[in-house]
Amino acid sequence: MRFPLRLPADPPVTFKARLHDARTATAVGRWLGLAFAVCFATGVLSHFFQHPPDWLADRLPSRPYWGYRFTQGLHVISGIAAIPLLLAKLWAVYPRLFAWPPLRSVRHALERASVAVLVAAGVFELFTGLLNTFQWYPWPFSFVPVHFALSWLLIGALMVHLAVKWPEIRSHWTRRSPGTLALPASDGPDRRALLAGVAAAVGAVTLTTAGQSVTALGRLDLFAPRDPAVGPQGLPVNRTAKAAGVTATAVRDWRLSVAGPRPYTLTLDELRALPQYEVTLPIACVEGWSKNARWTGVRVRDLLERAGGGPGTGARVESLEPAGAYRVMEMGREYAQDPLTLLALRLNGEELSPDHGHPARIIAPNRPGVLQTKWVARLEVA
Amino acid sequence: MAYRYAVAGLGLALMGLGGALLVQQPSPWRIALWLAGAVVVHDGLVAPLVIAVAALTGAFGLRLRGVPRAALIVAGSLTAIALPPLLRPGGTANPTVVPLDYLRNWLLTMAAVALAAGLYAGTRAALRGARRRT
Ligand code: HEM
Repeated sequence: MRFPLRLPADPPVTFKARLHDARTATAVGRWLGLAFAVCFATGVLSHFFQHPPDWLADRLPSRPYWGYRFTQGLHVISGIAAIPLLLAKLWAVYPRLFAWPPLRSVRHALERASVAVLVAAGVFELFTGLLNTFQWYPWPFSFVPVHFALSWLLIGALMVHLAVKWPEIRSHWTRRSPGTLALPASDGPDRRALLAGVAAAVGAVTLTTAGQSVTALGRLDLFAPRDPAVGPQGLPVNRTAKAAGVTATAVRDWRLSVAGPRPYTLTLDELRALPQYEVTLPIACVEGWSKNARWTGVRVRDLLERAGGGPGTGARVESLEPAGAYRVMEMGREYAQDPLTLLALRLNGEELSPDHGHPARIIAPNRPGVLQTKWVARLEVA
Repeated sequence: MAYRYAVAGLGLALMGLGGALLVQQPSPWRIALWLAGAVVVHDGLVAPLVIAVAALTGAFGLRLRGVPRAALIVAGSLTAIALPPLLRPGGTANPTVVPLDYLRNWLLTMAAVALAAGLYAGTRAALRGARRRT
């Protein structure tokens, strides 16, 4: 399909160029649609793992232990992969921006409005998402609720887009579909070369960033905001002890208090004398990076049980840090009772360093990193 | 046909949900401004720039097709994801945040893309030449 370009001024030269057609839009669009669908599904999942509503908190599963690491790694990977795809897609359909007359009917106006929302939300989500992973927030609003709200707007606009374009999508789905065959045959090799270039770009941006969560690709990590190998005790840090306001003096007189029907307190030495377990669990940050580590400590469920918490109890965990959005953390039943969930004292065979939560921190399977509370001061049967 | 209306209807409902979540934010107009800005920056800046590059090279008789175009797409995409760490102002929360030598890595990948494209095009031309001679 050639574009009915009737611009008042001279149309830009390259609009005579090929490939601004519905076959290219379909071929790139379906990969883009897939990337956004994966982003949406994993993003909503992450939202509920991070901020579960009350009815869900005790039902969130603690297994597979690598679940959140996988889905949040995938969220960032598919988001980054969508960047070349979105640019290619918008390049392919760019001449349609100048369709003339701009609005033919009410229906056409609505259709263009939905496309405007789709493009705005698509560009915005990828831009803010990418910058957020670099902890760069140049906007005057808070990232998480806006990114979340726009994801619904985006996925809705995408569904409208698919419904509107369905006849064109269908007639350009394969190389031999009627719409594709109606395009100049000489465009075929050119389009395949373009699509190969876009595929190579997706491969390149994925391979040079995925190493922040995919261990096997660690050596190719060139552009990710984190290097899993960089950090005290071989593990990156988000919030340092200094940033959290946890000082050496606060830690010196540290006692763990466990509240419940039979409350008690423990010193660090008393904790060390309790049965210790070793588990291998990942820190999986909401920002996408993740890394496995070896943790040693006391089972949370043992501590709860000693305070009189039965087999069905969850926990409320408080940190030493004086302030912070995640100072108090609630832990549903599945997590609190999982034998892998520890109040960890050691990391990779050494005493926890201050930035990793000395004297004691939570490590639980299948949970976002912000909920792996550091510098734990108090545990409560909940 | 009925499917199309069902999908469009569900899409509109989800857009409504997203819009409702958005207007509950402290300053929805500012967010709307950023959304509009996203379209303006892409449609008014990024896309015209790409088209200008193509037009300029076209004016010099270079048609951007095949391997050179693919190389530019890859290089452009890598540059796009390298820009945040390269342009990010200010310090980081701690040394494990944004820890790599991104400028060096960017230069390395640009060289690698040029090299790979050159090798690919060269090998193809050589093979074609060999085929023609036999
Ligand atoms: C977030 C994802 C997407 C964005 C931002 C997007 C954006 C756009 C835009 C701006 C247009 C031009 C609309 C117009 O003025 O007519 C368009 C057209 C089109 N899109 Fe999408 N799209 C997306 C996903 C998809 C998907 C998943 C498919 C199909 C698999 C698709 C297939 C098409 C087709 C066939 C056209 C018509 C092209 C033509 O007539 O030349 N799009 N898209």
